[in-house]
Amino acid sequence: MTIKKLFIANRAEIALRIVRTARRMGIATVVPWHVRDRHGPALLLADETVELHGEPPVSAWLDGPALISAAIASGCDAIHPGYGFLSENAGFARAVAQAGLVFVGPPAEVIELMGDKITARHFATRCGVPVTPSADEADAPETFAERARAIGFPLLVKGSAGGGGKGMQIVHEAGALAQAIATARAESQRYFGDGRLLAERFVEQPRHIEVQVFGDTHGHVIHLGERECSIQRRFQKLIEETPAPTLAPELRQRICDAAVRLASEAGYVNAGTVECIVSPSGEFYFLEMNTRLQVEHPVTEMVTGLDLVEWQLRVAQGEPLPLKQDAVRWHGSAIECRILAEDADAGFVPDTGKVLLLNEPQGPGVRFDCGVTPGATVSADFDSMLAKLVVHGATRDLAISRLRQALNETVMLGVTINAHFLGRVLAHPAFQAGATDTGFLERHKADLKPTAWTEDERRALVAVAAAVGRETHANALPEPYASMGAWRN
Amino acid sequence: MTTYVLHADPGQRHQTARRGNLVHVDGAALHVRALDAHSFITEVGGRPTRIRGIAHGDNIHLQLNGRACLIRRIDPTRAGAAAAGEANGSATAPMPGVVVNWLAQPGCAVQAGDALLVIESMKLQMTIEAPQTGWLEDLPFSEGQTFQRGAVLARVRTEEVAA
Repeated sequence: MTIKKLFIANRAEIALRIVRTARRMGIATVVPWHVRDRHGPALLLADETVELHGEPPVSAWLDGPALISAAIASGCDAIHPGYGFLSENAGFARAVAQAGLVFVGPPAEVIELMGDKITARHFATRCGVPVTPSADEADAPETFAERARAIGFPLLVKGSAGGGGKGMQIVHEAGALAQAIATARAESQRYFGDGRLLAERFVEQPRHIEVQVFGDTHGHVIHLGERECSIQRRFQKLIEETPAPTLAPELRQRICDAAVRLASEAGYVNAGTVECIVSPSGEFYFLEMNTRLQVEHPVTEMVTGLDLVEWQLRVAQGEPLPLKQDAVRWHGSAIECRILAEDADAGFVPDTGKVLLLNEPQGPGVRFDCGVTPGATVSADFDSMLAKLVVHGATRDLAISRLRQALNETVMLGVTINAHFLGRVLAHPAFQAGATDTGFLERHKADLKPTAWTEDERRALVAVAAAVGRETHANALPEPYASMGAWRN
Repeated sequence: MTTYVLHADPGQRHQTARRGNLVHVDGAALHVRALDAHSFITEVGGRPTRIRGIAHGDNIHLQLNGRACLIRRIDPTRAGAAAAGEANGSATAPMPGVVVNWLAQPGCAVQAGDALLVIESMKLQMTIEAPQTGWLEDLPFSEGQTFQRGAVLARVRTEEVAA
């Protein structure tokens, strides 16, 4: 079958990302919006837009039946879920298929298998993919604490239905275990409606390495290489890159092979990511599989020259994968930074505001996937990610240089963003040496603090402040004209 | 003569006077040339440097070398009005978000540091504590309500009030 019109059950930068590829493929697009979220560039580019309703606004993007109805009403034949929201919701995938639409993603059964961390781990073990020593509460709830203690410390306690760092507790000693279990259970119950827990060995100073896999409906599964996403705060990724800077080729091959094995055994179809942690001594453990397109997929696109959304749509149409494993080539190095509305220097607290001035960085090897337009209101209603800055270079050093320049040129005045903080991370000698693990930001916290403005800088800033026009409504019309509305001939 | 302060350093006031392209800042003269409405060239450390800027009311948002800076224009007609607003005993929101649940009820006695309510913003939860010992006068936002950064989330008073 051929997809003619695609409903994008998402918003912001990923909606724009998907619209771009769909247009290139001649597929019409429909993007939803909400009265409190109507400033996305995707809405300007999409063929049609549909208003969603719900309070809080995020609930509109979680209302599967309403999204499916909107897709049908607008004449779409497929739904792309993007990432987050309902992208890994098996019930939604099933409902989309039952409504006679194509779900651009894996079959519901595969989402179900991988969506539960515990069944996913059991499955990985059966496929010969290593997992960390663990204790599952469901096996015998009354002995859970005891079995968790037996694994040894440090220990990670997390919700079995969880993800995104929510409901996770690190326990360093036996005395803190009971409290950690209570906290993790409360958070898991609240976020996922499921308080079931899992305890596992916490690998210290691990690198987060993940493998992009792709499957089709003809039984082929290949990988498109690894990504390292070790620069994280509160278990959330900030900087992602490929290739992983110091991963030995032999270990890389073993991890990629394991990922393909896992995906093949699962009957995987469409884009997926197998996440692992790699210890300083080179052991790797399966973490989880994300059954959707990842935020950081562009770094893979930059080094392979492929369009993963195009692959997703082709696979969803029933086509075989465009390439065989041995035809995949990787060139140079690519790094992505997540531009977030947050004050990184005040403990990464989210910020809100209005985007008054926006400048998108440009140049060779620079890609900016942006979810806001000038004048957009950044509220606490949605995730804090405003844009992704991705660069490519023939070498990692060149990619870092280009990324630092591009960050300097990134302007989003009116709301606090983390661009300068990201620039400081990239400038750090340990980052440049590839000495990255998930504890990087905490360990180098002191080095990453901003320096005070120099006297010269202060004077220059104040001088410009005095020169900036008092009113900045550059496009505002004088009132009598504004009230006349648009000209019509 | 106009006064400006850096948001990050409100204690230090800068006096400016502007004549065409020449801006005097605390007595030093700087040439500021506009490239367009929001891009300016001036000297930093003896080198011509580009600074972006846009005003929003009395707030001027600027960016120099990739780093943003917020500068406030001090409006003499409004000075002093805001300073008295923040009373002691109020816990204010460090970030915008939503109230998850109340851990104390208005009217009850609290010790400094007691957990009063849990808030959440995006993916971060935090507990708001009593800023001082006394009785909890008010929790202005109920469970599920959203608030902006700086909003008063709890008021604790020290003196007893006759019932």
